[in-house]
Amino acid sequence: MSRIPHNPGRVEWSGENPGIYLKENSQDTSYSTLALFFRVVMSPHGRGTAAIVLGAPDKAGGWPDVPNFIMTDNQRMMRWIVDGWVTKMPTFMGKAGLGTMRWLDCSSVSKRPGDLKSRYSETLRGSGVTLEMVWRDMGPPLPVEVTKENSATKEHEMYSVFLEAASAEVIINGTPLSGAVAERQFFGRTMSTAFLAFSETWVTPQEDI
Amino acid sequence: MPLNEPITPGVVDWTGENPGIFLKNPDGSFSAMALFFRVAWSPIGQGQVLLLYGTPNQVNGTTDAPNLIISDNPALTAFLKKNFISKLAVFANAPAFETLPEFLASGVRTSGDPMSHRYSETIAAGELTIELVWEGLEPPRALELSPHEVGSGEHNMFSLLIPAQAAHIIVNGTHLSGELGTRVQAGFETTSAFLYFSETWIIPPEAL
Repeated sequence: MSRIPHNPGRVEWSGENPGIYLKENSQDTSYSTLALFFRVVMSPHGRGTAAIVLGAPDKAGGWPDVPNFIMTDNQRMMRWIVDGWVTKMPTFMGKAGLGTMRWLDCSSVSKRPGDLKSRYSETLRGSGVTLEMVWRDMGPPLPVEVTKENSATKEHEMYSVFLEAASAEVIINGTPLSGAVAERQFFGRTMSTAFLAFSETWVTPQEDI
Repeated sequence: MPLNEPITPGVVDWTGENPGIFLKNPDGSFSAMALFFRVAWSPIGQGQVLLLYGTPNQVNGTTDAPNLIISDNPALTAFLKKNFISKLAVFANAPAFETLPEFLASGVRTSGDPMSHRYSETIAAGELTIELVWEGLEPPRALELSPHEVGSGEHNMFSLLIPAQAAHIIVNGTHLSGELGTRVQAGFETTSAFLYFSETWIIPPEAL
């Protein structure tokens, strides 16, 4: 199959979308922590940054009673992305914490990319919360291009550059959430549940517009 | 459209943003050229680099229209010059290419909205402030280009193109002269002012 240089679909959003999914025990079927970071450079609702943290994914409730929250500087954009993408991802689908997470403001974001191999971090502050997401021991970048059938939402095509991380932490106000990085089947191979994702673009196929 | 194999064969050379503005004289020659890089991953790390030919037909630019590089990661500048910019004929063949002075960036700022009316990058170094402004922005297009369709002639490239119908290169408050032209990218006629987001350059296996 040869490439079609101009994808006829509708570009939805583009940016960075790294994640950290942790398990208490590697054999557990469910995750103890789910966290996604977003640095969106273009969308119909503007640009912005955000992080979703479900420290108790299966528990209904939000911050500060339960460590389930979203921090963002663009609520309208993230409402659109949560409804159109996150709720459709198998890892997040049906999670009680996703529907009950608290929406918090984000007043600052800073990253420490380092050498992109040993340690990478994003730190968000706002609403009395300091959230740190830390990835360690990254592998080489993997370019991915995903058809609708193979994508997480089953509705979009997706392009990205993934870097697996051997370990990772989600730290809220100085306290790490429990759990450790595990393995999962992704893109037809065994991959870490912690990853950086740069240059990620989501496209609605032409036939679905 | 994406191919069925989710992991694209090859090695990522670099990925990030790569917008540019090429202005032309009435005779069709270039009057000013600017290319900006915001690199999210490279073997040299992240960084931001501005390449400006304010006076493309001369080795040395002028105070008002300088030829220079501003960067916050000189090692990344060297990597891009050797592995990428040197393969783009319009930049590599310019008289100033070999001797471009490089300045350390003191600040880089993005403003505007690429899906609205105006988007800009402002790059500062010492007394210099360079503004790149794109206006009349068109809807985004996802591109998947093969080696014969890219400037380097060597890479597969994924990118997100947002063409602009108007653009300005502003040096310390003064607009460089020139008008936008047209260009053709993989059969699509577009302008010589463009935003490129989420751009990934991949060296295919046969070129490794």
